Amino acid sequence: MITFESVTYTYPNGITALREINLQINDGEMVAIVGGNGAGKTTLIRHINGLLKPSIGRVLVDGLDTRSASVAQLSRKVGIVFQNPDHQLFSENVEDEIKFGLKNFGFPEDIINKRVNWSLKFFDLEEYRKLSPLMLSGGEKKRLCLAAVLAWDPKILILDEPTVGQDFIQKERLSQIIKMLLTQGKTVIIVSHDIEFIWPLQPRMIIMSAGRIIADSPSELIFNNISLIKEAHLIKPQLVELYERLRVKPNKPFPNVYEARVWLMNKIRGR
Amino acid sequence: MYWVASGFLFQRVDSIIQRLDPRVRLSLSLMLFILALISDSAIKITITMLTIISLALISNIAKRMARTTLFSATFAILIFLINLLLDYGLITSLVLALRFIAIITSTSFFFLTTSPDELECVMKWFRLPQDIIFAFVTAVRFVPVLMMDALQIMDAQRSRGLELDKGRFYKRIKNLIPILVPLVISAVIRSSELAEAMEVRAYGATKKPTSLYVLKMSNKDKFVMIMSIILFIPTIYLYLFAC
Repeated sequence: MITFESVTYTYPNGITALREINLQINDGEMVAIVGGNGAGKTTLIRHINGLLKPSIGRVLVDGLDTRSASVAQLSRKVGIVFQNPDHQLFSENVEDEIKFGLKNFGFPEDIINKRVNWSLKFFDLEEYRKLSPLMLSGGEKKRLCLAAVLAWDPKILILDEPTVGQDFIQKERLSQIIKMLLTQGKTVIIVSHDIEFIWPLQPRMIIMSAGRIIADSPSELIFNNISLIKEAHLIKPQLVELYERLRVKPNKPFPNVYEARVWLMNKIRGR
Repeated sequence: MYWVASGFLFQRVDSIIQRLDPRVRLSLSLMLFILALISDSAIKITITMLTIISLALISNIAKRMARTTLFSATFAILIFLINLLLDYGLITSLVLALRFIAIITSTSFFFLTTSPDELECVMKWFRLPQDIIFAFVTAVRFVPVLMMDALQIMDAQRSRGLELDKGRFYKRIKNLIPILVPLVISAVIRSSELAEAMEVRAYGATKKPTSLYVLKMSNKDKFVMIMSIILFIPTIYLYLFAC
């Protein structure tokens, strides 16, 4: 469980990026953090693994105070996949890149080999095992970063803008991976501007603006609030827009186009 | 680290010094540099340091200057300790350490008060080749960007369990590999992207491109220049022969 208790964070240059944040994220929850540029999303997630320590208040990760725990200690529980894969890839080959984190956390050699094999297979990277990570395409690099983090099996996974530079197929694949991680009881936190990607996952949505949380509720409720959407610089997902234009209101939100199609077809036939 | 890195970012501040022609600022910086170089006693270095601090305060760059001097302070401590160990005495060791800081701050005075655009104009005024000017100005612009990149890379690797401040000396050096490799790669990628962007915007299409900014000395600039030279010459004389 992650708890933010009245957290305020001011950067050394005097800019206050977080103001009085009170937040609780339970185990196994799927949370999407959205908001305009400079809203404080990245600053918020950097507090979870101790990269940033609160100026005021405290952050607890499974009862562990991030002010007193090291980043390495917290990272064993919290895996962050950063936006830019080029900021972390450095090894001679893909296999070593995945091994890096596992070695840092002191896993035994046989477990390391098992985890590497699992990650490569799961993320469809086996054929690149001995290839330099720098030779991979943008999407493959992103997958490798995710594989490298999931290899040490963190309890909480944070994805910072995971869909940037990904094609539709890769986004679908990522969506499936997130659903699978949720069935394993992991907590998944996504920071993204990509509403079309977030919406089908039906997460708990946290909307940030100017360092504050301005809304925290299930995604289906967020898009009914027009003033909130404007304040958070959000655009409605196309399905929500379609329901509105057709002046139909489903009794439950259909998160993906396949379910929505069945519902709409039945509606048309019924007429 | 962020605090230090942000010190290298150029910030346009409005002050009497910043409003001067960059060539005047360059001459002031050179004068301070020469004074720092020949300051070999406690009185001389105190005067030089006070002059630099006053100018930094007038130009509103004192805080940023302190940040950028943080690294050189480490070397200054080293200079002080080595000289102390070599029996040069406390005062001489202190003077030598302060002289090092004065040399660094006198040059950073110019770079902290001069934007890359103004720097380009000054270099053009010296009739340096366009390619060299562009390479130099780009390098200056890249320093803070690379520092910010380095911080982000450090965060990414620390999130993967890398502990930069633990272990013996050899391990700490080895731990820099996961930072340096992505840093060099991102710099190479960035520079090749910049080269392509410059080419598509017709860089090098004409041998003598026109300039957006043109330097012009006002009466105020000329006055400051003359006054500083009038003060500088007797000071040099006093530094070399009188005390």
